[in-house]
Amino acid sequence: MMALLETRGVWQRFGGLIANADVSISVGRGEIVGLIGPNGAGKSTLFNLIAGVRPPTQGTIWLDGVDITATPATERCRRGIARTFQVVKSFETMTVIDNVIVGALIRTTEMRAARRKAFEVLEFCGLAGRADVMASELIPSEKRRLEVARALATEPKLLLLDEVLTGLTPLEAQTGVELVRRVRDTGVTVLMVEHVMEIVMPLVDRAIVLDLGKVLVEGKPTDVVRDPKVIAAYLGDRHAVGA
Amino acid sequence: MHDATHAVRRRRDLIVAAVFVALAACVPLFVKDVYAQNIMVLTLMYAGLSQSWNILGGYCGQISLGHALYFGLGAYVTAILLTKFGVLPWFGMLAGGIVSALIALALGYPTFRLGGHYFAIATIVIAEIAFLLFLNWDWAGAALGIDIMVREDSWAKFQFTRSKLPYFYFALFFAAVAWLVTWWLENSKWGYWWRAVKDNPDAAESLGVVVFKSKMGAGAISAFLTAIGGAFYAMFVSYIDPDAVMSFQFSLLISLPAVLGGIGTLWGPVLGAAVLIPVTELTRSFIGGSGRGVDLIVYGSLIVLVSLTRPDGLLGLFSRKRKVEAAR
Amino acid sequence: MTAETIIQSLASGLLMGLLYGLIAVGLSLIFGLMNIVNFAHGEFLMLSMYGAFFLFAFFAIDPLLSMPLVAAGMFVFGAAIYLLIVRFAMRAKTNVGMVQIFATFGLAIVLRGLAQYFFTPDYRSITHSWLGGKTVSIGGIFLPVPQLVGALLAIVAFGALYVFIKRTDFGRALEATREDAGAVALVGIDQNRVFALGWGLGSALVGLAGAIMATFFYIYPDVGASFALIAYVVVALGGFGSVFGAFAGGILVGLVEATTALVMPPSLKAVGIYAVYLLVVFIRPRGLFGSI
Repeated sequence: MMALLETRGVWQRFGGLIANADVSISVGRGEIVGLIGPNGAGKSTLFNLIAGVRPPTQGTIWLDGVDITATPATERCRRGIARTFQVVKSFETMTVIDNVIVGALIRTTEMRAARRKAFEVLEFCGLAGRADVMASELIPSEKRRLEVARALATEPKLLLLDEVLTGLTPLEAQTGVELVRRVRDTGVTVLMVEHVMEIVMPLVDRAIVLDLGKVLVEGKPTDVVRDPKVIAAYLGDRHAVGA
Repeated sequence: MHDATHAVRRRRDLIVAAVFVALAACVPLFVKDVYAQNIMVLTLMYAGLSQSWNILGGYCGQISLGHALYFGLGAYVTAILLTKFGVLPWFGMLAGGIVSALIALALGYPTFRLGGHYFAIATIVIAEIAFLLFLNWDWAGAALGIDIMVREDSWAKFQFTRSKLPYFYFALFFAAVAWLVTWWLENSKWGYWWRAVKDNPDAAESLGVVVFKSKMGAGAISAFLTAIGGAFYAMFVSYIDPDAVMSFQFSLLISLPAVLGGIGTLWGPVLGAAVLIPVTELTRSFIGGSGRGVDLIVYGSLIVLVSLTRPDGLLGLFSRKRKVEAAR
Repeated sequence: MTAETIIQSLASGLLMGLLYGLIAVGLSLIFGLMNIVNFAHGEFLMLSMYGAFFLFAFFAIDPLLSMPLVAAGMFVFGAAIYLLIVRFAMRAKTNVGMVQIFATFGLAIVLRGLAQYFFTPDYRSITHSWLGGKTVSIGGIFLPVPQLVGALLAIVAFGALYVFIKRTDFGRALEATREDAGAVALVGIDQNRVFALGWGLGSALVGLAGAIMATFFYIYPDVGASFALIAYVVVALGGFGSVFGAFAGGILVGLVEATTALVMPPSLKAVGIYAVYLLVVFIRPRGLFGSI
């Protein structure tokens, strides 16, 4: 079966610095895949390449068997890739529901339909009660959920989550994990970048470990955490192991 | 249920606006003083102009300090078509709007790539270049300007010798139209796109918003409406020169009501103009000739105060009150 | 057009350019320090010119002598503006872009209004200053003495600024804050103090320029507006925030202005400069010169 998302031999150089070196990964339909690795492993770079922030220096990116390497971010969203941001980027002067409507408007220009869709997504994400609050007044964990809601409103095939669980209290993180599972159950494929392994391992079907810009290991989360190469890579990074 | 409250809110805005227009239309029946009527005309005109500015500067977040360009273009196109080619001002007005919108698109192409301060300065610079060019353009009257002869009362030619009332009603119509356009756009894809672009262009892009196209659309609509105001002003004062219609002063007076009342809000420009223009005119006349600059001091201070204490404008005072009441 | 007139106008363009650099450097310094454009920069220049004018009119202090006084006054004024206005503008959470532009923009309007009210819109000028109206001839080229002194002063000021930034603690704090304000706060440098001093220093520099310009330029409430635009052009050319880019940018703007005046009617000479601004920001948004 053709994978939903594929990167083939992707390189990203910034001047002399190589952030991604020959990265080939694939994400199948309906999977939850974790993209993990120590600090500076090139996770965020790869994430941004998939989201369409910039084209890779070399290599190609495929969605549904279509080469989207040169497709700009806006168009990728239209084709079914939605993302969240590591540093939350809410529309602060808009209400929560208006934030989500922006996302919904890519599939319809009919305002009532967009509003209805946005409200459904808010209910799904547990934010319906905060619909008319200004986004700037949300607490951090709510802002994270708003990011997810906004992305879901674009009706993506592939949802890219950038450290949505990091920095949450255990209870909040648990709610987050459940939300991601429910998202997958609606048929959306999830690729999530996380720095801290422990949070994502129980959630993901498959983990891809990046180190020094390359794919180090990939496989079942239970296997990956025991892999000596992964342990070695994380050793210099106590914070992540200990968390 | 949520859908319904939103629709109710929008309908309420529309009713309030209709009531305002109706009330405003009656005011001249009681206020016969020409000076007062003059202030009312200017207030309405700046309400409309600032509403137009607000589409680009407020909703879309592209702070233009050069809207005098579009205002002046509207005035010049109308005056030139009328005096040189005998084209009725109504068509001149439309032509001025279209010319301005096209120029806004042409200028938008390079300028909308610029961020914040660079954009604002570019708009000042462009308006200043246009000002200097018109000052030296002999065919367009150069510094001497263009005198629009007023010979008779005529709606077709939009000129009136005896009464200011027709101007008043047109200014009211203009303000109402600018408001209505904003009201309509606010709840459209464009309105949402603009606000998203203002708040966070990166996030907007990730949600499928075509940032550049949004800015271009806002720029064109804003320029078109501003030029209509400029065309009106040319006919109202019946004489134009670069200083009278394209100087920096106008860029200020077009942007400030929105900033003062509440940037990027439906009612902000109206509220701002209703406060700013009468206050400016009254202080100027009370203090008299020796007190030049008092108007600048007054609205400059207002702008600083609003920027520092209430970035959401005077309108924020109302919404806060409403929120407190709702919390009870 | 003879070669002589060309050289003549390029020479005076060079002198004006150095002064433009001095006018603009404060703007660039502040921008580099905290990413804020002072939209009242032109009005700071206007105040400095009035300062020199009144010191001359009331106390008969020649601008050449009152220059340090004006600069000191502007230092205090600039720091006060930071502490009273800009500091709060930086705290804005919503409509950030609007607040950062309109806080200083509103200030510009207030200052202009105050000048009109208290100083009247009349054009003033300092007559019979030591420098005023004199010219020297160097190799057949006539140079006005005030501009010449102003240009020399600009060179000295840039030199002193260079030494200051590279050699003093405050200068280093300034540089460090420019690079990474967050990290600096961690090291225990009081960011607020650095910013206030930066505003003071930037304003003192425009004070110097204003005092010397008062000897050969009409002084009136709106005088700052056109110079402010020129300063933005200089800063854009030099690379926003680059202190020494302003020096080079100033020279270039002076030369462009002189060249434009050769081929276009005098009233259009500013068009050349404005066009340069647009060209630079459209093509090289980071300015022509590096980022020192």
